[in-house]
Amino acid sequence: MGIVRQVGRNTFGLIEEFGRVSRVTGLGVLNILLPPFRFRLIIRQMAFIGVQSIPIIALTSFFTGAVFTLQSFRAFSLFGAEGYVGGTVGISLAKELGPTLTGLLVAGRAGSAMAAEIGSMRVSEQIDALEAMAVDPINFLVKPRLVAAVLVTPLLTAIFVVVGVFGSWVVGTFVLGMDWPMFSVRLRQWVDWEDVGGGLLKGAVFGAIIAIVACYKGLYTTGGAKGVGIATTTSVVVASVTLLVSNYFMSALLP
Amino acid sequence: MTSTEPVPGSGPETAPDDRPPSQGGRSALVEEGAGVVEVDPDHSGVHELSCAVTGAPIVIRYADVHKAFGTFKVLRGLNLAIPEGKITAIIGRSGTGKSVTIKHVMGLLRPDRGRIWVGPDELTAMPDRRLRAVRNRFGLVFQNAALFDSMTVFENVAFPLVEHGRDSRAQVRKKVGQLLAQVGLSGSDDKVPSELSGGMRKRVGLARALIRDPAFLFYDEPTTGLDPILAAAMDELIVQTQNARPGITSVVISHDMSAVLRTADKICMIVDGVVLHQGPPSYFVQSTDPLVRQFVEGNVDGPMKV
Repeated sequence: MGIVRQVGRNTFGLIEEFGRVSRVTGLGVLNILLPPFRFRLIIRQMAFIGVQSIPIIALTSFFTGAVFTLQSFRAFSLFGAEGYVGGTVGISLAKELGPTLTGLLVAGRAGSAMAAEIGSMRVSEQIDALEAMAVDPINFLVKPRLVAAVLVTPLLTAIFVVVGVFGSWVVGTFVLGMDWPMFSVRLRQWVDWEDVGGGLLKGAVFGAIIAIVACYKGLYTTGGAKGVGIATTTSVVVASVTLLVSNYFMSALLP
Repeated sequence: MTSTEPVPGSGPETAPDDRPPSQGGRSALVEEGAGVVEVDPDHSGVHELSCAVTGAPIVIRYADVHKAFGTFKVLRGLNLAIPEGKITAIIGRSGTGKSVTIKHVMGLLRPDRGRIWVGPDELTAMPDRRLRAVRNRFGLVFQNAALFDSMTVFENVAFPLVEHGRDSRAQVRKKVGQLLAQVGLSGSDDKVPSELSGGMRKRVGLARALIRDPAFLFYDEPTTGLDPILAAAMDELIVQTQNARPGITSVVISHDMSAVLRTADKICMIVDGVVLHQGPPSYFVQSTDPLVRQFVEGNVDGPMKV
């Protein structure tokens, strides 16, 4: 009896949650077409999610490219295949590491901030105040974040890839003593614009996932300061896991 | 709806209302202090043309409103009539459904059962889009002000205008300046909410609620969390606001009995999700009902359990 009840409750809870996420997603997308368009808020969010993330993205990507080069050089040199290092690092960064690591960093830095901000607005009645003033919280809060995240995450992904390859070149050249042709030949041969485009597309999808999860968790925050903390943590966890799972399926389906 | 207008010659309601059988023997109206006072806890209120307490026409009306959250029944057949152009206070203990009552009239919550009218419009049958239009006529002062903490005082007060209005920047600036002066906060435009005291935040909240010249003004616990002097100043501000804007209908939710006695024209006492007593302040001062006495005097012992 207890188990049946628990399973029933969990199932209904899951359906309820699915409904809420769908509502936030659907209304968020619909509101992109509905005025007011909130250009200023979108720009402000792009600055927050994008411009202010550049230092951490650059730092992370530089060392990701660097360490990847260090390790793959060791392995490849066993077969005398050092010339493949540049291409391998380049294609991994463009297709997988660039978008996923950028997504994880944006989820940790901007997604958590979104969930915390909207969550504290919820518990301090600021969202009720919006509704009382006949301002749609989805239009005012969700839309700018969703649009900004979808536009900016691919750009951050591009920065990640470029700086990552630069980090790879620095280690390859100055630590491992590779020359420019050795590093660049396979890079040019293997990495084409479709790979880069696929990575940027992933970035856009990850941006949407991060914004929707964070806004949803924020909007449905309950229980004061503790609730805001829970909303923040779960938004990062849920966004990160969703992002990695969806990444597998996108890699499998994209050519 | 014609029933919201006072019928010439009929004056304050004098006929007994419909009563449930349990209230059978009791009179719906009792001569008390300032005049005719309703004490019938479950009077239907639906047919009331003008307010028996103030004589003003009824502009907001709740009829048999029920609302439950999960299994917890908050409103259990609430009947409430709010007179136009007056200050009505809704009092009751914490958790008795005072805020829920206000959220219903703003369309933020919908009743499980019962009907609510604002003027001629019945909210309960209204689609969301039209509810928003009704909401535009309301101003709400939140308990903790609910100011947007990412904005300055000026931006907070101007927000409803900027969102909805077609006013020019200069007009917005002028209106905000006037209202901040009215609430005694001139020159605080560029401060952010975290730099303000609780009393100042509530004043900014009031200015924000007033900026679009609402027809109805709601205060959720306006004096809660303020020291006695600031609380008295807030009460004065409520009365001043009322006097400065003829025709505005104010509703104050409070559990501060002394404040309500100073400011309200009509007081409605909610107990267990229904309006159990209503009347002018004099009725509450003079009443010998043990529930009213306990609430007015703040006794721990009495019919209401702690």
